[in-house]
Amino acid sequence: MNQIAPGPAQTATGRVTTTFLSYQQRRFISKLVLTFILTFLAIIMVLPFVWMISTSFKTGNEVFNYPVEWLPAHPVFDNHIKVWAEGFLTYYLNSLKISIICMTGSTFFGALAAYGFSRIEFKGRDQIFFLYLAMLMIPPQILFVPRFIMFNWAGIYNTHWALILPGQFTIFGVFLLRQFFKGIPREISESAAVDGAGHLRIFFQIILPLAKPALVTFAILDFTWNWNDYENALVFLVNRDLYTVPLGLTNFIGEHNVDYNGMMAAAVAAIIPMVIVFLIGQKFIIQGVANTGVKG
Amino acid sequence: MKMSWSKRQKLAGYLFIAPNMIGIVIFFLIPAIISFVVMFTDLDFLSKAPVNFVWFDNFVRVFGDETFYTALKNTFIFLLAVPVSIAIAVILAILLNNKIYFKPVLRAMYFMPYITSSVAIAFVWSLLLQPSTGPINGFLRSIGISDPPRWLASTETSMYGIDIIMVWYTLGFNMIIYLAALQEIPTDLLEAARIDGARSWQTVRRIILPLISPTTFFLLITGLMGAIKTFGLIQAITQGGPGDSTVVLSLFVYRTAFSYYELGYASAIAWVLFMIVLVITAIQWFGQKKWVYSN
Repeated sequence: MNQIAPGPAQTATGRVTTTFLSYQQRRFISKLVLTFILTFLAIIMVLPFVWMISTSFKTGNEVFNYPVEWLPAHPVFDNHIKVWAEGFLTYYLNSLKISIICMTGSTFFGALAAYGFSRIEFKGRDQIFFLYLAMLMIPPQILFVPRFIMFNWAGIYNTHWALILPGQFTIFGVFLLRQFFKGIPREISESAAVDGAGHLRIFFQIILPLAKPALVTFAILDFTWNWNDYENALVFLVNRDLYTVPLGLTNFIGEHNVDYNGMMAAAVAAIIPMVIVFLIGQKFIIQGVANTGVKG
Repeated sequence: MKMSWSKRQKLAGYLFIAPNMIGIVIFFLIPAIISFVVMFTDLDFLSKAPVNFVWFDNFVRVFGDETFYTALKNTFIFLLAVPVSIAIAVILAILLNNKIYFKPVLRAMYFMPYITSSVAIAFVWSLLLQPSTGPINGFLRSIGISDPPRWLASTETSMYGIDIIMVWYTLGFNMIIYLAALQEIPTDLLEAARIDGARSWQTVRRIILPLISPTTFFLLITGLMGAIKTFGLIQAITQGGPGDSTVVLSLFVYRTAFSYYELGYASAIAWVLFMIVLVITAIQWFGQKKWVYSN
């Protein structure tokens, strides 16, 4: 859409322009100016990432040279090697394990519940759903202490179970998926029901395939939250070999708090997988986030 | 025995929601009830002394605790990041909603901070904001500000430093939601305004902003709720320091519970925090009718 064709002063909209420029030319220039401003701002937004990556390849005394050398003159890999030598592989595997199990469970249980709340009529359904709504308001601060007591009592404090078990159940996932399921036309499942299909078959063979975009969106979002979750890991994990990436990162930084290059290499290690997930699943992530907001 | 249709429906409904609901009861409802009981006790994880019901003593203590008022003040400064982020996001979204080049790339660039680990990014910012040698103050000095703020290193500015990080972190999320809301505005409405000779600023003020006010309302509520619960980012970079200058309420709860192990007292503070959440919700609920446009 970038015709630069010079046009007459009288444009298609019928307005007489008083400048030398035609309507199309003015459109083109405003598009160019806007693009320039927004690109400039977007670059400022990502500068911290660029600085982080650039610093992670520098040596100690180059970190705070000003003006900033965006491309290190003598890139070194020592910082990254050090990070990986000090346990980041373990943290990665722990995070990956926890995030994948939580993502699978919460999507599946969430979809089941969302089906029940959106496509089966039964007494008490709306009251239970209202209770869900109310529970969404409880801040996690209230839950940390009792969960700490419960997990100690059940013997799962300081194990991955303390993150995996609660991670199977999200209220938000039920909301998001319920919203989507409600949008699937009733006739589709009703005609299947007439053909004698039970709810389980309708759920697995009709609704789930149709809801794939919503399921993928929620799964990616849930994976991201679990991967980035620092607060639960901080409260429930003690042993270093159980650490997830964010906890391992803070631990590494606590031990190397004057080694800025090492710190940035560790931050790179923590951030890069999410950036890759984002670049691949960008469409789903942005669409999913947008949907939660508008239809909330 | 054959069940009636409505009974079968009811059973099916329960069976579908059961797995999720059992989990929600175990990990949300029961803990909430336990917490409600614990807040009336002097439960201390480290002491072996028997647990007593002290009833409202914990609340008397909260309201006499100087740290509580510091945390309250810091929380309000922290929450300033929410409207600031929303205001910048709405401007960006309106600009991005025009015909421009590279739109998907730019949108992704703005959104990127939001999907990264807040802890990792907080560390990057803590170096960027380094008072004496960091690049941000380096830049400020180079444009002639000889005495730039000491950001996270000073009790005066540390909370505002954290606000900057929060604004940067949440901006993309708010912007994406605004962009989606802008898509819903019928184009003929904007076209009509243009033909009637409305200038772009008037269109924004009289048509776009009122039409997206429900989104603003949604972002304000969820933003405030989200921010009031946040403590990981602050714990990771400042641990509440220097002094108590970045202790927010949620961090105060965490610290009381898991640094001092005063579980009873921590639960009481957590419920005070919950009351604040409720008050914010209520104010907005009633305020919504006044300024949210609806057709």
